[in-house]
This record gives sequence, C-alpha cells and structure tokens, in this order.
Amino acid sequence: MRLRPLKMLWIAAVLGLAGMSARASGIIAEKSALTFVGEQMGAPVQGRFQHFDADILFKPTDLAHSHARLAVDLASIDLASEDSESEIKGKSWFNVAAFPKAVFESTAFRALGGDRFEVAGHITIKGIVRDLTLPLQVHTVAGQLYAEGSTTLRRSDFKVGEGVWADPDSVATDVRVNYKMALKP
Amino acid sequence: MKFRDKYTGTAITLHWLMALLIILGFLVGLYVADLPLSPQKLRILAWHKWSGVTVFLLLLLRILWRLAHRAPPLPVSMSALMKRLSALTHLAIYLLMAAVPVVGWLHSSAAGVSVVYFNLVPLPDLVGKDKALSHLFSEIHETLAWTLMGLVALHVAAALKHQLVDRDNLLQRMRW
Repeated sequence: MRLRPLKMLWIAAVLGLAGMSARASGIIAEKSALTFVGEQMGAPVQGRFQHFDADILFKPTDLAHSHARLAVDLASIDLASEDSESEIKGKSWFNVAAFPKAVFESTAFRALGGDRFEVAGHITIKGIVRDLTLPLQVHTVAGQLYAEGSTTLRRSDFKVGEGVWADPDSVATDVRVNYKMALKP
Repeated sequence: MKFRDKYTGTAITLHWLMALLIILGFLVGLYVADLPLSPQKLRILAWHKWSGVTVFLLLLLRILWRLAHRAPPLPVSMSALMKRLSALTHLAIYLLMAAVPVVGWLHSSAAGVSVVYFNLVPLPDLVGKDKALSHLFSEIHETLAWTLMGLVALHVAAALKHQLVDRDNLLQRMRW
C-alpha cells in the first residue's frame, strides 16, 4: 500500500516518456523556420508560421524509405498587424475554425545530385489537395543537419482570399514560401 | 514690393504643394487608421505612404533651396522674441516634415510591409519585422503627425495675425 503512489508515479513517468517519443516531431522547432513573402499593392509583405509539426525521416542513402509530413498550425501566423492576422484566419482566407492545419505529405524523394534533393507529395490547404514538389538543399551547420528550400504557392489554388480579396491587384496570387527544417539525428 | 522681399517661385510652389500633400496625407491617415481591413484600405494606405515619400523628397529639394537662398527678411516691426519664436516654429516644422514620413517608413518596415514608391521604386526596409517595434513606431508616427498639425495651425494663425492684426502684408511673400 505504501509503495502504490510511487509505483503510479513511475508508470505515469514511463507513459509520459513513451508519449513524448511517439510525438517526437523529427525537427528541432527552435532552429526551424517557416516564413513567406506575399505582395500587397505591389509591395512585399513578410510573415511566418510559429507552430508546425514535422515528421521527417530523411536518409540520403535510403530515399525509398524517407518520408516527410509537415503540419502547419495556421492560427500561429505572424503577419503585419493583429488586424491582418485575424482577417487571414477568417472565412475568406484560411478559415482556421474549419481548417486549422495545412499539411504536406511526401510521396517520393529524389536525389538531384550533390546536396540537392526533391520531395514530391501533396499539400492540403482549406480542404483542397494539390500535388507539390519541393526542392531541398541539405547542409550541416555545427553538426546540425538542415533541409531548406522555397516554393511558390498560388493562393487562388486553395481559395485563400475569396470574395473581395480574390483580386490579385490588391494581394498578389503568388506567395513565396521558405522553409528551413533542423532535422533531428 | 521689391522682388527680394518675396520667396522665389520655386520656394512658393514647394511651400503650397507640400502644404496640400501634408494636410491631405494627415486626413487620409486619420481616416484609414480606423478603417476595417479591406482591399480599399490597402489601396488608401499605399497612397498615404506614397504621399509621405513625396513630402520627404520635396523637403529635400526645399532644404537645398534654403541652403542656396536666403529667406526674405521679416518686417522690422516684429520684436526679437517674435522673430525667435517664428524661427523656432519653422525649424520644428522642418524637423517634423522629415520625422513623420521616416517614422511611418520605420512603422511599415517593422510591420514586415515594404514600401514600393508608386509601385515602381522599392525602398529598403529600415528595420526587421518586429511587432512590438511596429506598434511603438505607429504611436510615434501618430503623435508626431498631430504635433506637426498643431504647429501648422500655429503657423496659419500667425500668418493670419500678420495679415489681419499687424497688417504688415507678410503673406505677400508666399503669393505667386
């Protein structure tokens, strides 16, 4: 009887650890970044997503078994102002209430030679699925492996910015997305 | 009145053009600040920024003019104190005409929104994206703009006093 609370604590600790390793994202969040540059009235506008989860198993020597899944918490967007953040979370843009995450799921990795790779897959934003191939450049800084690159998404492909916001003259169709993932060993 | 008692045509044009742009820019800024976000708001904000950049560029021309010319003398009837107050007010207005657009540009940079003059000339971002800084610059921009408007009101009141009370025909200096 006296040992019971301690036993329970142990079980909880073990379960907790197991849970943590199961949730391990495969990236080091503090060293990873997901930023973008859009354009409003012809002027570049920067933003970023503060929370995203990635499950990345990347083996340059075994691309067939490499896999990547990136889930972006769209409500974590950092934009010009609180006004623009609440607008972009709303129905005509991301509609985060109904579609809280944007997800990229890989289907195949391909080596392009040297430190360059390509990962094919599909991206889901606002319930719309599109094929997407992401370029990756892999490099090591102070023992930390990074995979980074950028791609251009067309917001109209995903109905991001509907109604009055559909006009590309006020907010451009193309959005440059930059990703830098610090991979766990 | 002799020619040297007047500003030159260039100075007079710069004065009135900037007066118009500054007052319009202020009113547009006041209006757009409380507007809910919409494509129209983005458009008006862009115009507001372009008018600010224009004011700043015209100010540079005006400072060059001022360096090359001497302002016409003030009426001998003015006291030394009034002359000093006038010089101080003009200096403050000049400083604010530079500071208000520059702080606006800082605000835009800190918000992560670059300024592209007339959609043609990209201006460099003065600071990196930083929301706290963006809020701070926004407050300063607004405060300085109201201060400038206060000084403009003082400037107009003083001009009217010269015209209606002192009757020294000072306004003649700024008339084409």
